[in-house]
Amino acid sequence: MSLAEAQDARIGRPPKLSGGQIGGILALVVAIASVPVIWSNEYALGVLITGMITLVLNTSWNFVLGTAGVWNFGQLAIYALGGYGAGLLMIHTPVPPVLAIIAGGLLSAAMSVLLAFPTLRLYGIYTSLLTFSFAQVFQFIVVNDPKGLTGGSFGFPTVRGLYSFLSPRASLDAYYWTMMAVVIAATLAVTWIRSSRLGIALRTVRDAPGYAAARGVSPLKYRIIAFAISGFIAGVAGALYLSYNQSITTSVMGLTPMSIDVTMLVIGGLGTIWGPMLGTGVLTGLQVGLADYPGIQLTILGTILLVIVVFMPNGIVGLISAIRRRVGAWVTEGEGEDGGGDEDRAEAEETPAGVEETLGAELPS
Amino acid sequence: MTSFVGILVETIVLGSIYGLVAIGMTLIYGTLRILDMSQGSMVMIGGFVGWGVLVVAGWSPVLAILIAFVITFAMGTFTELISVQPLMGRRGFDFEMVTFITTFAVAIVFANVALQVFGPFQHNVTPVVRGGVDVYNRVNLSYQNMTMALVSVGLMGGLGLFLARTRWGLAIRAVAQNLDAARLMGVPVMKLYPLTMGLASALAGIGGVFLGAKFFAYPSAGDLPLLEALIVVIFGGLGSLSGTLYAAYAIGLIQATAEVVVGTTWSLPILYAIILLVLVVRPHGLRGTPSEARL
Repeated sequence: MSLAEAQDARIGRPPKLSGGQIGGILALVVAIASVPVIWSNEYALGVLITGMITLVLNTSWNFVLGTAGVWNFGQLAIYALGGYGAGLLMIHTPVPPVLAIIAGGLLSAAMSVLLAFPTLRLYGIYTSLLTFSFAQVFQFIVVNDPKGLTGGSFGFPTVRGLYSFLSPRASLDAYYWTMMAVVIAATLAVTWIRSSRLGIALRTVRDAPGYAAARGVSPLKYRIIAFAISGFIAGVAGALYLSYNQSITTSVMGLTPMSIDVTMLVIGGLGTIWGPMLGTGVLTGLQVGLADYPGIQLTILGTILLVIVVFMPNGIVGLISAIRRRVGAWVTEGEGEDGGGDEDRAEAEETPAGVEETLGAELPS
Repeated sequence: MTSFVGILVETIVLGSIYGLVAIGMTLIYGTLRILDMSQGSMVMIGGFVGWGVLVVAGWSPVLAILIAFVITFAMGTFTELISVQPLMGRRGFDFEMVTFITTFAVAIVFANVALQVFGPFQHNVTPVVRGGVDVYNRVNLSYQNMTMALVSVGLMGGLGLFLARTRWGLAIRAVAQNLDAARLMGVPVMKLYPLTMGLASALAGIGGVFLGAKFFAYPSAGDLPLLEALIVVIFGGLGSLSGTLYAAYAIGLIQATAEVVVGTTWSLPILYAIILLVLVVRPHGLRGTPSEARL
């Protein structure tokens, strides 16, 4: 690795992709986009669309949980709020569904920022407790529904959705491509932000709060921006869920979906770019596989979560980069070059705890 | 006046049960530095033990409490051994975060196994003790509630004595104070952790027998107590036993008042709003010690 590359990696610029890698990613995108044309299985398309909605939610959650390092467990409430907000607009006002969906995202972003103020005064485990109980209380309010707005646990009244003017089959295709575009947009946005000044500031605040504060990086300011961005993406995901299902129920919140989403994030690898995709893909596949055994589904998912976290706390992506790091170190050792140090540091940036790994010896914990 | 006495009675009953469930959580946090999300499932398991012993087998309430203690102690120890012990001493990840997730995973498994075994229905548990006494102007204090409050307070006192007077209690306090120093003094930390978690789980399990008798036994019976225990431990300050006790009664008072004044629907949101205000002013709860410098 050249000095310039090592420096790029250290300050967190996205790795420069070679022509082959870009070609590979483009081919993958085209292949995924052509699924509805080749394979007209409506059940499979439905599963894929739902999976992609979850992926957008997970991308937003991964951003605040992994990249910003704030233990926010209230994301599902933010997600549901986007859905309910957009739904109320669709029912009570004549705004076009697209605007209602964006408005849902903005509402969620606003709520997320409101949640950020008390939350960011706290540290670590207190943050997760407060946001977790925020989510529980939000669900409680929606279920009990004091004003008759949300339909309680019976669900929301039916809305038109984005593609109500298309035939059922055509609207399925349309939703598929829409979700694909949203997934790509969200992933690109988060990847870009991750390596921008904002992202570097967030990761520094996460890994070395003392150092960041000493350099004049305000944790509060950057984390509130992170909450706003993450809230907006989650709200849009919620609104798209509502639009696709033409309704929303309180079952999108609560312990069960939260445990599934957290499992996806942790299995993939928190704070990584590919983690949410891998995790969401693996678990969606598992859920489909276990669909015939609804009783034991969650028991198995819980067991898998436990086993995976115990054996690889940094997820699949963390494991892969650890293997690559080891192979890299072994190769450089074989060539007798002294380049291992830089490479270690560059790869370590990938995992949330990476910096701690390299700096751990110097920092008092 | 009548409603005031009613609030007071409910405060003492609710506060004692919250205290019993939350004190285990804070004890675990104090010694292991983990937030045990499986504490709620211990309440649920305790409820089913109570149902099994009191309703199915028809044995005495004392036996129900003893069996619940033994079973949830074993469950808590087992949970520690599978979800916390393997992660001990390893580096490269956030220990608090990862154990939060592993104990949460155990809670998912327990709740769903219970769902498979017992079904989603609510099982009625017969009251531990029948009858009641008129405290003041038709405010009724059932013997059931009185027993629950007394036993909870007794158990918390017992825990206090255990921590203050026994060798193992001393070891637990030593580990909570300074892990490295305790290790150097020869405290068997790896044995102490399962013991602590078993003990805390057993307290939650007994709380579960009471809550099952007050409400019902069902697979998600642990969710609300878990949430309430979380609120209590944040409010009191994690790791502080005395803070947890104050917080349990304070929250019992807030909830009982809110239930009487504005009704059950809004009592939880109001409680939450108050906790939010307290945390904005005191980010480490009532008695928590700030562990990190504010930046």
